Amino acid sequence: MVRSFFESAGRYLLFLKKVFRRPEKWRIFWRQCVIEADKLIISSILLVGVISLFIGGVLVIQTASNLENPIIDKMYIGYMVRESLILEFCSTMVALILAGKMGSNISSEIGSMRITEQIDAMDMMGVNSAGFLVLPKIAVTTILSPLLMLLSLALGLVGGYVVVETTQIIPTASYITGIKAFYNGFYIFYSCFKMSLFCFMISSIAAFNGYYAKGGSLGVGRSSTKAIVVTSILILLADLIVTQLMLY
Amino acid sequence: MIKVENLNKSFDGVQVLKNINVEYEQGKCNMIIGASGSGKTVLLKNLIGLMEPDSGDISYGDVKLSQMSDKEKMKLRQNIGILFQGSALFDFATVIENVMFPMEFFTDWSKAQMRERAQYCLEKVNVIGSDDKYPSELSGGMQKRVGIARAIALNPSYLFCDEPNSGLDPYTSILIDRLISDLTKEFNMTTVVNTHDMNSILEIGDKIGFIHQGSMLWQGDKKTILQPDCKELKDFVCANTLARNIIDGI
Repeated sequence: MVRSFFESAGRYLLFLKKVFRRPEKWRIFWRQCVIEADKLIISSILLVGVISLFIGGVLVIQTASNLENPIIDKMYIGYMVRESLILEFCSTMVALILAGKMGSNISSEIGSMRITEQIDAMDMMGVNSAGFLVLPKIAVTTILSPLLMLLSLALGLVGGYVVVETTQIIPTASYITGIKAFYNGFYIFYSCFKMSLFCFMISSIAAFNGYYAKGGSLGVGRSSTKAIVVTSILILLADLIVTQLMLY
Repeated sequence: MIKVENLNKSFDGVQVLKNINVEYEQGKCNMIIGASGSGKTVLLKNLIGLMEPDSGDISYGDVKLSQMSDKEKMKLRQNIGILFQGSALFDFATVIENVMFPMEFFTDWSKAQMRERAQYCLEKVNVIGSDDKYPSELSGGMQKRVGIARAIALNPSYLFCDEPNSGLDPYTSILIDRLISDLTKEFNMTTVVNTHDMNSILEIGDKIGFIHQGSMLWQGDKKTILQPDCKELKDFVCANTLARNIIDGI
Protein backbone atom coordinates (compact mmCIF):
# COMPACT_ATOMS: atom_id res chain seq x y z
CA MET A 1 0.00 0.00 0.00
CA VAL A 2 2.84 2.40 0.89
CA ARG A 3 4.58 1.45 -2.36
CA SER A 4 1.39 2.02 -4.32
CA PHE A 5 1.00 5.46 -2.68
CA PHE A 6 4.51 6.52 -3.66
CA GLU A 7 4.06 5.11 -7.16
CA SER A 8 0.86 7.13 -7.61
CA ALA A 9 2.49 10.25 -6.18
CA GLY A 10 5.43 9.86 -8.57
CA ARG A 11 3.16 9.32 -11.56
CA TYR A 12 1.12 12.37 -10.51
CA LEU A 13 4.27 14.55 -10.46
CA LEU A 14 5.38 13.24 -13.87
CA PHE A 15 1.87 13.94 -15.14
CA LEU A 16 2.08 17.54 -13.87
CA LYS A 17 5.46 17.89 -15.60
CA LYS A 18 3.77 16.88 -18.86
CA VAL A 19 0.85 19.24 -18.22
CA PHE A 20 2.99 22.28 -17.47
CA ARG A 21 4.92 22.22 -20.75
CA ARG A 22 4.70 25.34 -22.86
CA PRO A 23 1.51 25.18 -24.96
CA GLU A 24 2.11 24.47 -28.67
CA LYS A 25 0.04 27.51 -29.63
CA TRP A 26 -1.03 30.20 -27.19
CA ARG A 27 -4.08 31.07 -29.31
CA ILE A 28 -5.45 27.55 -28.85
CA PHE A 29 -4.61 27.64 -25.13
CA TRP A 30 -6.56 30.89 -24.54
CA ARG A 31 -9.51 29.57 -26.55
CA GLN A 32 -9.58 26.43 -24.41
CA CYS A 33 -9.37 28.56 -21.25
CA VAL A 34 -12.53 30.42 -22.26
CA ILE A 35 -14.33 27.14 -22.98
CA GLU A 36 -13.22 25.63 -19.66
CA ALA A 37 -14.13 28.78 -17.71
CA ASP A 38 -17.66 28.44 -19.02
CA LYS A 39 -17.82 24.69 -18.38
CA LEU A 40 -16.23 24.63 -14.93
CA ILE A 41 -16.65 28.04 -13.29
CA ILE A 42 -19.70 29.73 -14.80
CA SER A 43 -21.72 26.53 -14.70
CA SER A 44 -20.93 26.22 -10.96
CA ILE A 45 -22.32 29.64 -10.07
CA LEU A 46 -25.91 28.44 -9.65
CA LEU A 47 -24.97 25.51 -7.42
CA VAL A 48 -22.60 27.56 -5.26
CA GLY A 49 -25.10 30.44 -5.12
CA VAL A 50 -28.09 28.36 -3.98
CA ILE A 51 -26.10 26.44 -1.36
CA SER A 52 -24.49 29.63 0.01
CA LEU A 53 -27.84 31.40 0.24
CA PHE A 54 -29.35 28.61 2.32
CA ILE A 55 -26.28 27.98 4.46
CA GLY A 56 -26.11 31.72 5.28
CA GLY A 57 -29.71 31.59 6.49
CA VAL A 58 -29.21 28.39 8.47
CA LEU A 59 -26.04 29.77 10.12
CA VAL A 60 -27.99 32.80 11.38
CA ILE A 61 -30.68 30.60 12.94
CA GLN A 62 -28.19 28.16 14.49
CA THR A 63 -25.94 30.90 15.86
CA ALA A 64 -28.92 32.82 17.24
CA SER A 65 -30.28 29.74 18.97
CA ASN A 66 -26.90 29.20 20.65
CA LEU A 67 -26.50 32.81 21.76
CA GLU A 68 -29.66 33.51 23.72
CA ASN A 69 -27.77 35.06 26.67
CA PRO A 70 -29.16 38.62 27.03
CA ILE A 71 -25.73 39.91 28.08
CA ILE A 72 -24.21 39.11 24.68
CA ASP A 73 -24.84 41.75 22.05
CA LYS A 74 -26.95 40.39 19.14
CA MET A 75 -24.55 41.92 16.65
CA TYR A 76 -22.15 39.07 17.49
CA ILE A 77 -24.49 36.74 15.66
CA GLY A 78 -23.86 38.61 12.41
CA TYR A 79 -20.15 38.75 13.20
CA MET A 80 -19.95 34.99 13.83
CA VAL A 81 -21.92 34.17 10.69
CA ARG A 82 -19.53 36.28 8.62
CA GLU A 83 -16.44 34.71 10.17
CA SER A 84 -17.81 31.18 9.72
CA LEU A 85 -18.54 31.91 6.10
CA ILE A 86 -15.15 33.48 5.37
CA LEU A 87 -12.96 31.10 7.31
CA GLU A 88 -14.47 27.75 6.49
CA PHE A 89 -17.68 27.53 4.53
CA CYS A 90 -16.91 29.65 1.46
CA SER A 91 -13.58 27.95 0.81
CA THR A 92 -13.44 24.47 2.32
CA MET A 93 -17.11 23.47 2.18
CA VAL A 94 -17.63 24.99 -1.26
CA ALA A 95 -14.45 23.23 -2.45
CA LEU A 96 -15.78 19.90 -1.17
CA ILE A 97 -18.99 20.51 -3.11
CA LEU A 98 -16.97 21.45 -6.21
CA ALA A 99 -14.83 18.32 -5.78
CA GLY A 100 -17.99 16.38 -6.57
CA LYS A 101 -19.20 18.55 -9.41
CA MET A 102 -15.98 19.64 -11.12
CA GLY A 103 -14.01 16.53 -10.18
CA SER A 104 -16.48 14.07 -11.67
CA ASN A 105 -16.92 16.28 -14.74
CA ILE A 106 -13.17 16.48 -15.43
CA SER A 107 -12.38 12.87 -14.59
CA SER A 108 -15.21 11.34 -16.61
CA GLU A 109 -14.60 13.62 -19.61
CA ILE A 110 -10.89 12.82 -19.82
CA GLY A 111 -11.45 9.16 -18.89
CA SER A 112 -13.97 8.70 -21.72
CA MET A 113 -11.50 10.27 -24.12
CA ARG A 114 -8.83 7.85 -22.93
CA ILE A 115 -10.89 4.69 -23.41
CA THR A 116 -12.17 5.77 -26.82
CA GLU A 117 -8.56 6.36 -27.99
CA GLN A 118 -9.10 10.11 -28.49
CA ILE A 119 -6.08 10.85 -26.27
CA ASP A 120 -3.99 8.32 -28.23
CA ALA A 121 -5.09 10.05 -31.43
CA MET A 122 -3.87 13.42 -30.08
CA ASP A 123 -0.55 11.97 -28.92
CA MET A 124 -0.05 10.33 -32.28
CA MET A 125 -0.63 13.64 -34.05
CA GLY A 126 2.24 15.02 -31.98
CA VAL A 127 -0.04 17.12 -29.77
CA ASN A 128 0.75 17.21 -26.03
CA SER A 129 -2.63 15.80 -24.99
CA ALA A 130 -2.08 16.48 -21.28
CA GLY A 131 -1.20 20.10 -22.00
CA PHE A 132 -4.09 20.64 -24.38
CA LEU A 133 -6.75 18.96 -22.23
CA VAL A 134 -5.61 19.59 -18.67
CA LEU A 135 -3.59 22.83 -18.46
CA PRO A 136 -6.54 25.11 -19.32
CA LYS A 137 -8.70 23.33 -16.72
CA ILE A 138 -6.07 23.75 -14.00
CA ALA A 139 -5.34 27.36 -14.96
CA VAL A 140 -8.98 28.38 -15.03
CA THR A 141 -10.04 26.64 -11.82
CA THR A 142 -6.99 27.87 -9.89
CA ILE A 143 -7.21 31.49 -11.04
CA LEU A 144 -10.97 32.02 -11.16
CA SER A 145 -12.14 29.96 -8.17
CA PRO A 146 -11.57 32.83 -5.66
CA LEU A 147 -14.40 34.61 -7.50
CA LEU A 148 -16.66 31.71 -6.57
CA MET A 149 -15.52 32.07 -2.98
CA LEU A 150 -16.35 35.80 -2.98
CA LEU A 151 -19.73 35.10 -4.58
CA SER A 152 -20.42 32.44 -1.97
CA LEU A 153 -19.55 34.89 0.82
CA ALA A 154 -21.77 37.61 -0.61
CA LEU A 155 -24.73 35.28 -1.10
CA GLY A 156 -24.21 33.66 2.30
CA LEU A 157 -24.48 37.07 3.94
CA VAL A 158 -27.54 37.86 1.81
CA GLY A 159 -29.10 34.54 2.89
CA GLY A 160 -28.53 35.49 6.51
CA TYR A 161 -30.02 38.92 5.89
CA VAL A 162 -33.15 37.45 4.30
CA VAL A 163 -33.70 35.17 7.30
CA VAL A 164 -33.12 38.03 9.75
CA GLU A 165 -35.44 40.32 7.82
CA THR A 166 -38.25 37.77 7.45
CA THR A 167 -38.11 36.11 10.89
CA GLN A 168 -36.76 39.03 12.99
CA ILE A 169 -34.79 36.43 14.93
CA ILE A 170 -32.45 39.33 15.73
CA PRO A 171 -32.81 43.01 14.84
CA THR A 172 -31.71 43.71 11.25
CA ALA A 173 -29.53 46.60 12.36
CA SER A 174 -27.61 44.31 14.75
CA TYR A 175 -27.00 41.82 11.95
CA ILE A 176 -25.72 44.56 9.65
CA THR A 177 -23.48 45.96 12.40
CA GLY A 178 -22.21 42.43 13.13
CA ILE A 179 -21.21 41.59 9.59
CA LYS A 180 -19.23 44.87 9.40
CA ALA A 181 -17.53 44.50 12.79
CA PHE A 182 -13.83 43.68 13.40
CA TYR A 183 -13.15 43.22 9.71
CA ASN A 184 -9.82 41.52 8.92
CA GLY A 185 -8.83 41.67 5.23
CA PHE A 186 -6.23 38.93 5.70
CA TYR A 187 -9.03 36.42 6.28
CA ILE A 188 -10.37 37.15 2.79
CA PHE A 189 -6.90 36.57 1.33
CA TYR A 190 -6.56 33.37 3.39
CA SER A 191 -9.90 32.07 2.13
CA CYS A 192 -9.16 32.97 -1.51
CA PHE A 193 -5.77 31.28 -1.24
CA LYS A 194 -7.34 28.13 0.18
CA MET A 195 -9.96 28.09 -2.55
CA SER A 196 -7.29 28.41 -5.26
CA LEU A 197 -5.22 25.63 -3.74
CA PHE A 198 -8.21 23.32 -3.32
CA CYS A 199 -9.40 23.91 -6.88
CA PHE A 200 -5.89 23.22 -8.18
CA MET A 201 -6.05 19.92 -6.30
CA ILE A 202 -9.53 19.14 -7.61
CA SER A 203 -8.70 19.76 -11.27
CA SER A 204 -5.24 18.17 -11.29
CA ILE A 205 -6.16 15.03 -9.31
CA ALA A 206 -9.39 14.49 -11.28
CA ALA A 207 -7.54 14.97 -14.57
CA PHE A 208 -4.78 12.60 -13.44
CA ASN A 209 -7.31 9.88 -12.60
CA GLY A 210 -9.17 10.36 -15.88
CA TYR A 211 -5.98 10.50 -17.95
CA TYR A 212 -4.84 7.09 -16.73
CA ALA A 213 -8.31 5.49 -16.68
CA LYS A 214 -8.50 1.97 -18.04
CA GLY A 215 -11.04 -0.82 -18.15
CA GLY A 216 -13.84 0.60 -20.29
CA SER A 217 -16.83 2.51 -18.92
CA LEU A 218 -16.49 0.80 -15.53
CA GLY A 219 -12.93 2.09 -15.37
CA VAL A 220 -14.13 5.63 -16.09
CA GLY A 221 -16.66 5.34 -13.24
CA ARG A 222 -13.98 4.00 -10.91
CA SER A 223 -11.53 6.76 -11.79
CA SER A 224 -14.22 9.37 -11.24
CA THR A 225 -15.15 8.00 -7.81
CA LYS A 226 -11.49 7.66 -6.82
CA ALA A 227 -10.80 11.24 -7.90
CA ILE A 228 -13.61 12.59 -5.68
CA VAL A 229 -12.68 10.49 -2.63
CA VAL A 230 -8.95 11.25 -2.84
CA THR A 231 -9.52 14.96 -3.49
CA SER A 232 -11.99 15.31 -0.61
CA ILE A 233 -9.56 13.74 1.87
CA LEU A 234 -6.63 15.79 0.60
CA ILE A 235 -8.68 19.01 0.77
CA LEU A 236 -9.39 18.39 4.46
CA LEU A 237 -5.73 17.58 5.12
CA ALA A 238 -4.55 20.66 3.21
CA ASP A 239 -7.12 22.77 5.09
CA LEU A 240 -5.59 21.71 8.38
CA ILE A 241 -2.03 22.41 7.24
CA VAL A 242 -2.77 25.76 5.56
CA THR A 243 -4.80 26.96 8.55
CA GLN A 244 -2.00 26.07 10.93
CA LEU A 245 0.56 27.81 8.72
CA MET A 246 -1.41 30.95 7.94
CA LEU A 247 -3.42 31.65 11.08
CA TYR A 248 -0.91 30.68 13.78
CA MET B 1 9.22 2.59 -46.54
CA ILE B 2 9.08 1.12 -43.03
CA LYS B 3 11.48 -1.67 -42.08
CA VAL B 4 11.03 -3.90 -39.03
CA GLU B 5 14.01 -5.98 -37.93
CA ASN B 6 14.10 -8.69 -35.25
CA LEU B 7 11.29 -7.07 -33.26
CA ASN B 8 10.43 -8.67 -29.91
CA LYS B 9 7.89 -7.58 -27.34
CA SER B 10 6.62 -9.28 -24.19
CA PHE B 11 4.21 -8.47 -21.36
CA ASP B 12 4.65 -9.97 -17.88
CA GLY B 13 6.96 -12.67 -19.21
CA VAL B 14 4.65 -13.64 -22.09
CA GLN B 15 6.27 -13.02 -25.47
CA VAL B 16 3.65 -11.37 -27.69
CA LEU B 17 5.88 -10.59 -30.70
CA LYS B 18 8.65 -12.99 -31.68
CA ASN B 19 11.46 -11.87 -33.95
CA ILE B 20 9.33 -10.00 -36.50
CA ASN B 21 11.06 -9.05 -39.77
CA VAL B 22 9.04 -7.24 -42.42
CA GLU B 23 9.18 -4.31 -44.85
CA TYR B 24 6.22 -2.06 -45.63
CA GLU B 25 6.43 -0.50 -49.07
CA GLN B 26 5.51 2.96 -50.29
CA GLY B 27 2.40 3.33 -52.46
CA LYS B 28 1.04 -0.03 -51.33
CA CYS B 29 -1.58 -1.29 -48.87
CA ASN B 30 0.46 -3.44 -46.52
CA MET B 31 -1.75 -5.71 -44.44
CA ILE B 32 -1.05 -7.22 -41.03
CA ILE B 33 -3.43 -10.14 -40.67
CA GLY B 34 -4.04 -12.79 -38.05
CA ALA B 35 -6.57 -14.08 -35.55
CA SER B 36 -7.63 -12.02 -32.53
CA GLY B 37 -4.89 -12.05 -29.90
CA SER B 38 -2.17 -12.96 -32.40
CA GLY B 39 -0.21 -9.73 -31.78
CA LYS B 40 -1.38 -7.55 -34.69
CA THR B 41 -2.35 -4.55 -32.59
CA VAL B 42 0.82 -4.81 -30.50
CA LEU B 43 2.86 -4.75 -33.73
CA LEU B 44 0.91 -1.73 -34.96
CA LYS B 45 1.39 0.10 -31.64
CA ASN B 46 5.12 -0.60 -31.81
CA LEU B 47 5.22 0.70 -35.37
CA ILE B 48 3.57 4.00 -34.44
CA GLY B 49 5.55 4.40 -31.23
CA LEU B 50 2.72 3.96 -28.74
CA MET B 51 4.73 1.00 -27.36
CA GLU B 52 8.48 0.44 -27.10
CA PRO B 53 9.85 -2.88 -28.36
CA ASP B 54 11.97 -5.00 -26.00
CA SER B 55 14.52 -5.51 -28.77
CA GLY B 56 14.81 -5.00 -32.51
CA ASP B 57 14.53 -1.97 -34.73
CA ILE B 58 11.87 -0.08 -36.66
CA SER B 59 13.16 2.25 -39.38
CA TYR B 60 11.25 4.99 -41.16
CA GLY B 61 13.19 5.48 -44.35
CA ASP B 62 16.83 5.34 -43.24
CA VAL B 63 16.24 6.52 -39.69
CA LYS B 64 15.72 4.11 -36.80
CA LEU B 65 12.86 4.98 -34.45
CA SER B 66 14.96 4.03 -31.42
CA GLN B 67 17.66 6.53 -32.40
CA MET B 68 15.30 9.46 -32.94
CA SER B 69 15.22 12.29 -30.39
CA ASP B 70 11.87 13.30 -28.91
CA LYS B 71 11.81 16.28 -31.28
CA GLU B 72 12.40 14.03 -34.31
CA LYS B 73 9.69 11.65 -33.11
CA MET B 74 7.25 14.56 -32.80
CA LYS B 75 8.12 15.65 -36.32
CA LEU B 76 7.65 12.10 -37.61
CA ARG B 77 4.26 11.88 -35.92
CA GLN B 78 3.10 14.91 -37.87
CA ASN B 79 3.90 12.89 -40.97
CA ILE B 80 1.80 9.93 -39.84
CA GLY B 81 -1.97 9.58 -40.23
CA ILE B 82 -3.82 7.07 -38.11
CA LEU B 83 -7.30 5.64 -38.38
CA PHE B 84 -8.23 4.07 -35.08
CA GLN B 85 -10.55 1.09 -34.69
CA GLY B 86 -13.27 3.21 -33.09
CA SER B 87 -12.43 6.23 -35.29
CA ALA B 88 -11.36 8.21 -32.17
CA LEU B 89 -13.02 11.39 -33.39
CA PHE B 90 -13.03 14.15 -30.79
CA ASP B 91 -16.46 14.35 -29.16
CA PHE B 92 -16.04 18.05 -28.39
CA ALA B 93 -15.51 19.03 -32.03
CA THR B 94 -17.69 19.03 -35.13
CA VAL B 95 -16.74 17.09 -38.27
CA ILE B 96 -14.91 20.03 -39.85
CA GLU B 97 -13.21 20.94 -36.56
CA ASN B 98 -12.00 17.35 -36.22
CA VAL B 99 -10.34 17.51 -39.64
CA MET B 100 -8.94 20.98 -38.95
CA PHE B 101 -7.53 19.94 -35.55
CA PRO B 102 -4.03 18.83 -36.71
CA MET B 103 -3.80 21.85 -39.03
CA GLU B 104 -4.46 24.24 -36.13
CA PHE B 105 -1.46 22.84 -34.28
CA PHE B 106 1.04 22.28 -37.04
CA THR B 107 0.40 24.88 -39.73
CA ASP B 108 0.28 28.64 -39.85
CA TRP B 109 -2.62 28.62 -42.26
CA SER B 110 -5.48 31.05 -41.88
CA LYS B 111 -8.87 29.78 -40.75
CA ALA B 112 -10.13 30.01 -44.35
CA GLN B 113 -7.19 27.97 -45.68
CA MET B 114 -7.71 25.31 -43.01
CA ARG B 115 -11.41 25.12 -43.78
CA GLU B 116 -10.67 24.82 -47.50
CA ARG B 117 -8.19 21.97 -46.93
CA ALA B 118 -10.59 20.23 -44.50
CA GLN B 119 -13.39 20.44 -47.03
CA TYR B 120 -11.07 19.02 -49.72
CA CYS B 121 -10.22 16.05 -47.44
CA LEU B 122 -13.90 15.51 -46.61
CA GLU B 123 -14.79 15.56 -50.30
CA LYS B 124 -12.05 12.97 -50.93
CA VAL B 125 -13.74 10.61 -48.47
CA ASN B 126 -17.18 11.53 -49.75
CA VAL B 127 -18.50 13.25 -46.62
CA ILE B 128 -20.40 16.26 -47.89
CA GLY B 129 -22.85 18.49 -46.04
CA SER B 130 -22.00 17.20 -42.56
CA ASP B 131 -19.42 19.83 -41.61
CA ASP B 132 -21.25 21.05 -38.52
CA LYS B 133 -22.42 17.70 -37.21
CA TYR B 134 -20.87 16.13 -34.12
CA PRO B 135 -19.37 12.60 -34.28
CA SER B 136 -22.25 11.20 -32.21
CA GLU B 137 -24.64 12.28 -34.98
CA LEU B 138 -22.82 10.20 -37.62
CA SER B 139 -23.12 6.52 -38.58
CA GLY B 140 -20.15 4.17 -38.03
CA GLY B 141 -19.19 4.30 -41.72
CA MET B 142 -19.32 8.10 -41.77
CA GLN B 143 -17.19 8.26 -38.63
CA LYS B 144 -14.55 6.07 -40.32
CA ARG B 145 -14.58 8.34 -43.35
CA VAL B 146 -14.13 11.45 -41.20
CA GLY B 147 -11.35 9.57 -39.35
CA ILE B 148 -9.61 9.00 -42.70
CA ALA B 149 -10.11 12.64 -43.70
CA ARG B 150 -8.47 13.73 -40.43
CA ALA B 151 -5.65 11.22 -40.95
CA ILE B 152 -4.79 12.63 -44.40
CA ALA B 153 -5.30 16.28 -43.43
CA LEU B 154 -1.58 17.07 -43.25
CA ASN B 155 -0.80 14.99 -46.34
CA PRO B 156 1.16 12.33 -44.43
CA SER B 157 3.69 9.90 -45.90
CA TYR B 158 2.49 7.08 -43.66
CA LEU B 159 -1.06 5.91 -42.97
CA PHE B 160 -1.90 3.33 -40.31
CA CYS B 161 -5.37 1.80 -40.05
CA ASP B 162 -6.38 -0.37 -37.11
CA GLU B 163 -9.23 -2.66 -38.18
CA PRO B 164 -10.79 -0.01 -40.42
CA ASN B 165 -13.97 -1.95 -41.12
CA SER B 166 -14.77 -3.47 -37.75
CA GLY B 167 -18.46 -3.03 -36.99
CA LEU B 168 -19.36 -2.05 -40.55
CA ASP B 169 -21.65 -3.85 -42.99
CA PRO B 170 -19.92 -5.62 -45.92
CA TYR B 171 -20.89 -2.96 -48.46
CA THR B 172 -19.59 -0.05 -46.35
CA SER B 173 -16.50 -2.10 -45.50
CA ILE B 174 -15.61 -2.49 -49.15
CA LEU B 175 -16.15 1.24 -49.74
CA ILE B 176 -13.81 2.09 -46.86
CA ASP B 177 -11.23 -0.44 -48.13
CA ARG B 178 -11.32 1.02 -51.64
CA LEU B 179 -11.05 4.52 -50.22
CA ILE B 180 -7.92 3.58 -48.27
CA SER B 181 -6.44 1.88 -51.33
CA ASP B 182 -7.24 4.80 -53.67
CA LEU B 183 -5.81 7.38 -51.25
CA THR B 184 -2.68 5.27 -50.80
CA LYS B 185 -2.05 5.24 -54.53
CA GLU B 186 -3.05 8.89 -55.07
CA PHE B 187 -0.84 10.29 -52.31
CA ASN B 188 1.85 7.57 -52.63
CA MET B 189 1.66 6.80 -48.92
CA THR B 190 3.08 3.82 -47.06
CA THR B 191 -0.15 2.35 -45.71
CA VAL B 192 -0.30 -0.34 -43.04
CA VAL B 193 -3.68 -1.91 -42.36
CA ASN B 194 -4.32 -4.17 -39.41
CA THR B 195 -7.26 -6.50 -40.08
CA HIS B 196 -8.67 -9.99 -39.83
CA ASP B 197 -11.36 -9.39 -42.42
CA MET B 198 -10.83 -11.67 -45.45
CA ASN B 199 -12.88 -9.38 -47.72
CA SER B 200 -10.48 -6.50 -47.03
CA ILE B 201 -7.46 -8.73 -47.47
CA LEU B 202 -8.64 -9.92 -50.87
CA GLU B 203 -9.77 -6.44 -51.92
CA ILE B 204 -6.73 -4.28 -51.13
CA GLY B 205 -3.90 -6.53 -49.87
CA ASP B 206 -0.95 -5.45 -52.03
CA LYS B 207 1.38 -6.97 -49.47
CA ILE B 208 0.23 -9.25 -46.66
CA GLY B 209 1.98 -10.49 -43.52
CA PHE B 210 0.32 -13.23 -41.47
CA ILE B 211 0.96 -13.26 -37.74
CA HIS B 212 0.26 -16.36 -35.66
CA GLN B 213 0.96 -16.43 -31.91
CA GLY B 214 3.35 -13.51 -32.25
CA SER B 215 5.39 -14.87 -35.15
CA MET B 216 5.27 -13.66 -38.75
CA LEU B 217 4.64 -17.03 -40.39
CA TRP B 218 3.90 -15.98 -43.95
CA GLN B 219 4.27 -13.02 -46.33
CA GLY B 220 2.69 -12.65 -49.74
CA ASP B 221 -0.10 -10.79 -51.51
CA LYS B 222 -3.83 -11.12 -52.28
CA LYS B 223 -3.15 -13.57 -55.14
CA THR B 224 -0.84 -15.94 -53.27
CA ILE B 225 -2.93 -15.97 -50.09
CA LEU B 226 -5.43 -18.27 -51.80
CA GLN B 227 -2.69 -20.87 -52.29
CA PRO B 228 -1.37 -20.94 -48.74
CA ASP B 229 1.64 -23.14 -48.10
CA CYS B 230 1.35 -22.77 -44.36
CA LYS B 231 -1.13 -24.76 -42.28
CA GLU B 232 -1.93 -21.96 -39.81
CA LEU B 233 -2.65 -19.53 -42.64
CA LYS B 234 -4.83 -22.09 -44.40
CA ASP B 235 -6.85 -22.55 -41.18
CA PHE B 236 -7.21 -18.77 -40.89
CA VAL B 237 -8.23 -18.27 -44.53
CA CYS B 238 -10.53 -21.30 -44.61
CA ALA B 239 -12.47 -20.16 -41.55
CA ASN B 240 -14.58 -18.39 -44.16
CA THR B 241 -16.77 -20.86 -46.12
CA LEU B 242 -16.56 -18.82 -49.32
CA ALA B 243 -12.77 -18.74 -49.19
CA ARG B 244 -12.68 -22.48 -48.37
CA ASN B 245 -14.80 -23.22 -51.46
CA ILE B 246 -12.55 -21.04 -53.61
CA ILE B 247 -9.39 -22.73 -52.32
CA ASP B 248 -10.90 -26.20 -52.69
CA GLY B 249 -11.89 -25.23 -56.24
CA ILE B 250 -8.32 -24.20 -56.95
